[in-house]
Amino acid sequence: MSAETKVLDSWVLAEFATPDALVDATRQMREKGYQGMDTYSPYPLHGGSEALGLPPSRVPFIALGGALTGIVTALAFQTYMNTIDYPLNIGGRPTFSLPAWVPITFELAVLLTAFGIFFGLLGLSRLPQPYHPVFESEEFRSASTHGYWLSVPTAETTVKPDDIKNQLTSLGATHVTVVTGEKE
Amino acid sequence: MIAVDRFNGGSKTMTLAGAVGIVGLVLTAVGFFTAPQPTMFSYLFGFTYWLGISVAAIIMVAIFHTAKAKWITILRRTMETMGSSVFVFALLVIPLLLGAKYIFPWVNHGTDWVFPGTDGVKFTEVELHHLHHKSPYLNLPFLYVRQAIYFAVWIFVSWRLRTWSMEQDTTGALELTVKQRRFSPGSLPFLALTITFAGFDWLMTLTPLWQSTIFGVYYFAGSFLAAFCVLTIATVNAQGKDEYGTLVTTAHYHNLGKLLLAFTAFWAYIAFSQFLLIWVANIPEEAGWFKLRIEGAWKPLSISLFVMGFAVPFFTLLSRNLKLKPRLLAVVAVYLLIMHAVDLYWLIWPAYSPQGPSFHWTLITSFIGVGGLAVAAAMWQARGRYTLPVKDPYISESLRYVQP
Repeated sequence: MSAETKVLDSWVLAEFATPDALVDATRQMREKGYQGMDTYSPYPLHGGSEALGLPPSRVPFIALGGALTGIVTALAFQTYMNTIDYPLNIGGRPTFSLPAWVPITFELAVLLTAFGIFFGLLGLSRLPQPYHPVFESEEFRSASTHGYWLSVPTAETTVKPDDIKNQLTSLGATHVTVVTGEKE
Repeated sequence: MIAVDRFNGGSKTMTLAGAVGIVGLVLTAVGFFTAPQPTMFSYLFGFTYWLGISVAAIIMVAIFHTAKAKWITILRRTMETMGSSVFVFALLVIPLLLGAKYIFPWVNHGTDWVFPGTDGVKFTEVELHHLHHKSPYLNLPFLYVRQAIYFAVWIFVSWRLRTWSMEQDTTGALELTVKQRRFSPGSLPFLALTITFAGFDWLMTLTPLWQSTIFGVYYFAGSFLAAFCVLTIATVNAQGKDEYGTLVTTAHYHNLGKLLLAFTAFWAYIAFSQFLLIWVANIPEEAGWFKLRIEGAWKPLSISLFVMGFAVPFFTLLSRNLKLKPRLLAVVAVYLLIMHAVDLYWLIWPAYSPQGPSFHWTLITSFIGVGGLAVAAAMWQARGRYTLPVKDPYISESLRYVQP
């Protein structure tokens, strides 16, 4: 038994009929002090991150890092290649032709910004995630079609799963279940 | 029942702006009789600055209708009002046309033109020959005809959209929205061509042997940004009785901030596109315009225009928190309006003063003269009307707008 409790954790899952009900319930559960909750919906949820009390996204800083990396890399490469390593006289233009380097600098900045946003978002969201205990529930599949779900981890609270279930039901959940699976 | 009533304030602003405008124009007229040439260049500066904002506001309304935008509905009346002041410029363009020979070297095929800032340098034989080839376009009668076309298009589009919009305030008829939505996309090609050729006529032909096809877009890009700045400032300050500013939410300001950021970048993109192609090609007939500006006495201003007009506002506006604070956003908008003035000065003044940046007092008088009249006209148009389209079918959606 003791070996099992170390590797397994439980989540209470609750399905709500509408996005508004989900956001409302999430906010109330957070105000009761539950932590580590997450919401699941088939499309972006208005007010979801505010209800979860998530901190401001760190993606913009990753994007800025990508942009600056792109600018510095492009300028350094072009200066090294065209001015230092292999200077060529092209139509009498100076070998250090800053205006001509702007397009490549711009493009590389945009490319690395996009990479930064894409991979930064994946990384911060810990994706791709082939397994998560909530997948143990068969009904949870509706989260990708028409269901609005809230997950409450039991590991971070002393409240019993049955009490959490009751609280969620009183907040308007249409379906409540407990899933148990390997820890993330 | 709607709580907002028709707007009847602003008479002080209107009187003050009108008085400043008349005093400014009278002083400019005095300047004309003492020093005609710099005064005409100054007048062109003031005229193109304020007219660009007015026309850009008309284009803005047409674009938002074309995109079937709903969030902007609460701000639309202000844009319509800004555009409605365009009729003033139909009168203000007359002095410009009468004094054309002082600013446009191509008048009379360039034979009379003496380059300012030189000891009587005139066009060479070859240059006169080139100018003669351009005379089917560059002649005074055709210039007058073109001005008439521009103003006919601008006044008609502005009047048409605004009249339907105001009619809806009383009737609430839904088909008026359909009419506006249908009319706008059709008007856009005309608006695009008129502002492009207006930019050519007023600014590019100051250097008649130079041409750049992107020039009209450059003038439009700067004006469009300036129009968003005016819209932001007007919205932040519209907090009085019956004014729409109190109904505007953070989400609207966030969008205005994003548009300011986007069009700061757009202006810089167009400016650089124009510069890079000419710089790389390095063809004598094209390069001269930029040679004057990036070498010698105009170089510091050109570099500071890039830094202060693009780099500083761009990185400032990247901040999300700033865009959510209306007062700070208004400060940035005022800054960008100043930069737009520097931009137009940079476009116009080297033609008058190739030896380097200089100042003439009529720059100030014509700027506040034209601006005062334009603001007074807009206030006059705003009074007695609602400051937002109260019965627009999308007004409640606009009021409830949140960031997607």
